[in-house]
Amino acid sequence: MKNDIIEIRWHGRGGQGAVTSAELTALAAIHEGKYAQAFPSFGPERRGAPVLAFNRIRTDRAVRERSGIIKPDIVVVIDPGLVSLINVTDGLKPGGTLIVNSARSVEDLQQDFSGDWKLAVVDAASIAKKLLGVNIVNTTMLGALIKATEVIDCDSLREPLEERFGARAKSNFEACKQAAENTVISEITPSGDKRPRSFAVEKLPKWNELPVGCVVTDVGNTKAFCTGNWKSQHPEWLDSKCIKCGICSIFCPEGCIKQQKDGFFRADLFYCKGCGICARECWTQAIKMVEEA
Amino acid sequence: MTSKRVGLESSLGIAQAVKLANVDVIAAYPITPQTHIVEGLAEMVANGELDAEYIPVESEHSAMSACLGASAVGARTFTATAGQGLILMHEVVTVASALRLPVVMAIANRALSGQLSIWGDHSDVMMARDAGWIHIFVENGQQAFDQTLCAFRIAEHKDVMLPVAVDVDGFHATHVIESFYLLDQKTVNEFLPPYVHPTPLDPDNPVTMGCFAMPNYYFETRKALDMALRNSKKVILETWEKFGALTGRHYLPVEKYKTENCDTLLVTMGSFSENAMMAVDRMQESGKKVGLVRLRLWRPFPTEELVAALSGAKNVIVLDRAISLGGPGPVCSEIKAALYPLEKKPHVVGIIGGLGGRDISPENFIALVELGLEKIKTGHTGEIIMFGVRE
Ligand code: SF4
Ligand code: SF4
Repeated sequence: MKNDIIEIRWHGRGGQGAVTSAELTALAAIHEGKYAQAFPSFGPERRGAPVLAFNRIRTDRAVRERSGIIKPDIVVVIDPGLVSLINVTDGLKPGGTLIVNSARSVEDLQQDFSGDWKLAVVDAASIAKKLLGVNIVNTTMLGALIKATEVIDCDSLREPLEERFGARAKSNFEACKQAAENTVISEITPSGDKRPRSFAVEKLPKWNELPVGCVVTDVGNTKAFCTGNWKSQHPEWLDSKCIKCGICSIFCPEGCIKQQKDGFFRADLFYCKGCGICARECWTQAIKMVEEA
Repeated sequence: MTSKRVGLESSLGIAQAVKLANVDVIAAYPITPQTHIVEGLAEMVANGELDAEYIPVESEHSAMSACLGASAVGARTFTATAGQGLILMHEVVTVASALRLPVVMAIANRALSGQLSIWGDHSDVMMARDAGWIHIFVENGQQAFDQTLCAFRIAEHKDVMLPVAVDVDGFHATHVIESFYLLDQKTVNEFLPPYVHPTPLDPDNPVTMGCFAMPNYYFETRKALDMALRNSKKVILETWEKFGALTGRHYLPVEKYKTENCDTLLVTMGSFSENAMMAVDRMQESGKKVGLVRLRLWRPFPTEELVAALSGAKNVIVLDRAISLGGPGPVCSEIKAALYPLEKKPHVVGIIGGLGGRDISPENFIALVELGLEKIKTGHTGEIIMFGVRE
């Protein structure tokens, strides 16, 4: 490690295990005799909502910092959908490394970012589905981290994985190794013809702009809240199988499935969280959950 | 206008004030030494004298919760408690201020358990000190009556919208029958405008109160509350001025008693102040330059007024009727902090006394001042000094 301290920021969604990735990374580093720290973004954990997890690793002495990481050396994006939603490279140091789980090509992803960074891409979802049988890529992405950087060694993960996953440790370890093999590493150029990206910036009130008692008076303001950002899958309808019973719309916890003029049902993707309950409840299996790009 | 002088127990004087304020909702759980206040009110509601909703709840926690709901829909709301009752209520006490709900509460100041004591001291109030309420200390029944009426006007003022506690020493004030000047309904109606919540709970115009605050919001909500509490002093002063003009009874955040040309000032809060006044009279008669400063407004803390009252003295002796176990006396430490920026500071000595209802008579106060001066003379002001404890 060339720097004294290495700081990693993990981007995932609630339920995808970004915090576990960070924990395993720290445990592996400590196993190697380094000093490390892992912590979540101390927020309300909601399944599907964007979340952060952090690591600090150093070799010479204990880590003392106890605050969020705003200038990371490494950014790992566990959920491919987050790239268009969040400025994942915010604060990423020049010379830093961006690691993305995506089925997209390296060339394509390069167009999304502009900075003096290394880009590592792996289709962790396919590996996890093949080796683990589920689309949970938190351990698989550790392989990409190992390949793209030298913060931890593959073997140091064995023990923490066993402790955490017991009988399932072996397949997780395999997924990790497979990801390390499949990770493609390239460079991002700071300039060039890039795809423009823009992100919503929340405007926060000053103390004296708050109403008395901080009462919220704009009724129904949750309508503006795009819970659709939380999904990693969305439902697709096969109308030929649908008997128009409406069960899907009754069970949708978000209440976002509406009947169309032709009698068939569709979800409002602005609100759909991708929970899959509609697909599970449909009698005739007319709904299929499809991964987000 | 002011009626003729009547005899009443102080607790019932408070109940009279609450009745004159024409409250809409009272939710309370009886606890000594507060019980007579809510008993009095319950009786008034039961016999039709007072048209209010009396909610007999199963605990103080529920009492305050019911008050919050009532105040949030725009009802004038009162409760009373003491000692462990205030502690049990505590979880919701902070919610009242955060939601800016102008509940008025009489606290019959009582010592805290383990060793169960129903008698008075300020330990219960001190544990509620940081909860965002306005705290007004009174010394006798008349003041309790007056300040209960003022409390509603202050609490509900549109520039304040904060809960107010009227702190009445258990037994030494609550249970004494004394003489009162009450006010007639017309005068009170003129003094006390109706309570209007700007954004009440209303099914036709729904609002959210007590929402979630992430780290990127919470700090601002606290500053907003803190500023509201600090700025409430303006309305408190206006209210007391108006009340004084109306009744001839004048109140100030810090009240001085015979302090001119005094080297030594005693500081007290609550019902023992009148004993202290008698001690000051006697000491001055025998040529001692000892005066009294009484702290009426505990929150918002009247730093400026205190500094103005104390900065000219050589010696300041502060009586704390509460013990901050393992730390300095709460009133004394705040006074020390207020005086610290002065270039020429008085010597300040804190004395803890009167815990769990133990008396401090006028004679005792003379001895207390002598003890304080002795400690100053011998340079022992940093000690934790207790008065009247068996050593
Ligand atoms: S996946 Fe189906 S049930 Fe879940 S939120 Fe979306 S539409 Fe509703
Ligand atoms: S539950 Fe299935 S069959 Fe019923 S309306 Fe929805 S999609 Fe159609």
